[in-house]
Amino acid sequence: MILTQNLCKKYGRMVAINEMNLSISTGTVFGLVGENGAGKTTALSMLSTLSMPTSGYAYINGYEVSRDPRSVRQSIGYMPDSFGVYDELTVMEYLRFFADCYRVDRRIVKRRAEELLERVNLTEKRHTYVNALSRGMQQRLEIARCLMHDPAVLILDEPASGLDPKSRLEMRGVLQNLRDMGKTILISSHILNELAEVADEVGILRKGSLVVIAAIQVMLQHSSAYRTIWIQGFAPHGVMKRLLSQDQHVLEVCEQPDGWEVLYAGTLAQQAELLQRLVQGGVVVSQFREQPTDIEQLFLRLSAVQEGTW
Amino acid sequence: MRINPLLAKEFHQRMRTARAPIVITVYLLGMVVLTFFMLYENVQGQLYLVQPSKSQQVFVLLSLLQMTVVAFLTPAFSAGSVSGERERRTLTVLLTTPLSPFGVLLGKVLSSSALLVLLVVVTLPVYSLVFLFGGAVPQEVLAVLGFQLLTIVVIATICVLFSTIALRSTWSTVFSYGTVGMMMVVFGALGYGLKTLYQQNPIELFTLHWSQFFYALNPLYVEAALQGAVSAKPAIWLTFTEFYAVVILILLIPSLWRLRPQWFARLSVRPSGSEKQYQ
Repeated sequence: MILTQNLCKKYGRMVAINEMNLSISTGTVFGLVGENGAGKTTALSMLSTLSMPTSGYAYINGYEVSRDPRSVRQSIGYMPDSFGVYDELTVMEYLRFFADCYRVDRRIVKRRAEELLERVNLTEKRHTYVNALSRGMQQRLEIARCLMHDPAVLILDEPASGLDPKSRLEMRGVLQNLRDMGKTILISSHILNELAEVADEVGILRKGSLVVIAAIQVMLQHSSAYRTIWIQGFAPHGVMKRLLSQDQHVLEVCEQPDGWEVLYAGTLAQQAELLQRLVQGGVVVSQFREQPTDIEQLFLRLSAVQEGTW
Repeated sequence: MRINPLLAKEFHQRMRTARAPIVITVYLLGMVVLTFFMLYENVQGQLYLVQPSKSQQVFVLLSLLQMTVVAFLTPAFSAGSVSGERERRTLTVLLTTPLSPFGVLLGKVLSSSALLVLLVVVTLPVYSLVFLFGGAVPQEVLAVLGFQLLTIVVIATICVLFSTIALRSTWSTVFSYGTVGMMMVVFGALGYGLKTLYQQNPIELFTLHWSQFFYALNPLYVEAALQGAVSAKPAIWLTFTEFYAVVILILLIPSLWRLRPQWFARLSVRPSGSEKQYQ
């Protein structure tokens, strides 16, 4: 449904997207995660025909974005990261306008608009002017707008950005709802946890390169199987590092100025045994605690450990 | 057949506010009052000795006044049309719909000239009063009306193209009013200046030629020529149309570049920076 082959985008010498290879099958919700400037918006703007790839190919619904952009536009619903709305229209008129742009059959426009407004919880606001809606409501309206022509693919660029916690929750509900519609959805975000409940697969984009692609379940399993432990204590030089590296469950030791950060893959009982061994080995332990795990960071670290590049 | 969605949306938006009917009413009342006083001046309170030549002058004066008003009003409606979409960040979404850049431009031209076309059409009955006193024939009125509509569309198109090329509404407004100023004042002044030169040196035929050319680019002069108020070549309006068609075609290329830089990707010339800057 969405396929990219060695997709590249360069601005002069700057490589915004580097050889992106992606395959998203029909009905999959795919999350594209990366920090600001990683290239998420550039990748999505190429897929939505707003910009042209420097090299490589991208196919949406079987249509190549450079050769058949018109068919691609008809197949996608695109929501940009920063968007504006036509303030002086009511919610219903807004949807009707975009339905006209997509040449949707007039006989079904009203019914479809009503259905979509119900889906994004805006039914009561259908005669309200768009400028009277909150930011969160406008973002949900945008999702309804993307669906007005019943596209096969939805491309949502940071749909929950700039929202307060309540609106984020509402948006998450809407996204879960979309998932039930069976659409192929590509969502970008700079927070992986935000996508955990809606995405089937996640790709991590780093400096324009897609470094990891994995099923969200695999990522979540990793996050529960691996943990980061923070240890602070006093020990003769080299003892701490020796004791830690002797434990087969310790994957990585990172020495910090005031302690050690340990990537650990054992059970809680094994973790307790590690503490015991440290104390018995002569380490005066002042802190031994588990740190909150950032799934994205964890996954990146694991991939780097596997590749030996961390 | 479907109406261009942008035209339908903007006309709907514009016409449902109180501003549009107020503008039309005030303008119409102004024209009626002006016409009444000018015609009253013509008949001087008596109807025995009506002078058709004076009635003709009233018609010429009214139509020139209307041309000036609509020419300077058109940029107000069209100079920020596409740049405004860009500034409101609605253009990106519009460009991901199947609406082509030509569709976007056409919708913007039609929607920004629609109210002005309405202004011109509603004054038609006022012009018709001139028939009562002679001096103008219906064909003349229709020719003037047609030329005014053509001028509105020409100015609106140029302004919409400027608003596509210039990334900011401020710049497109400056370019648009600059162009209208050229059309209404500079070309007329050049025509007049060159004609004066010719009158002083009748041998310099090229000055006469260029004077006629510049006059043909001035909407006020062309309109006066259509009414027979000034001497000019028979198809002066054709020169006007051809020249501005060329201007529009030239401006169309960078406008399309701004909207769909991808179309120009096969050429070696590529837009600098990101396409997102334009969209």
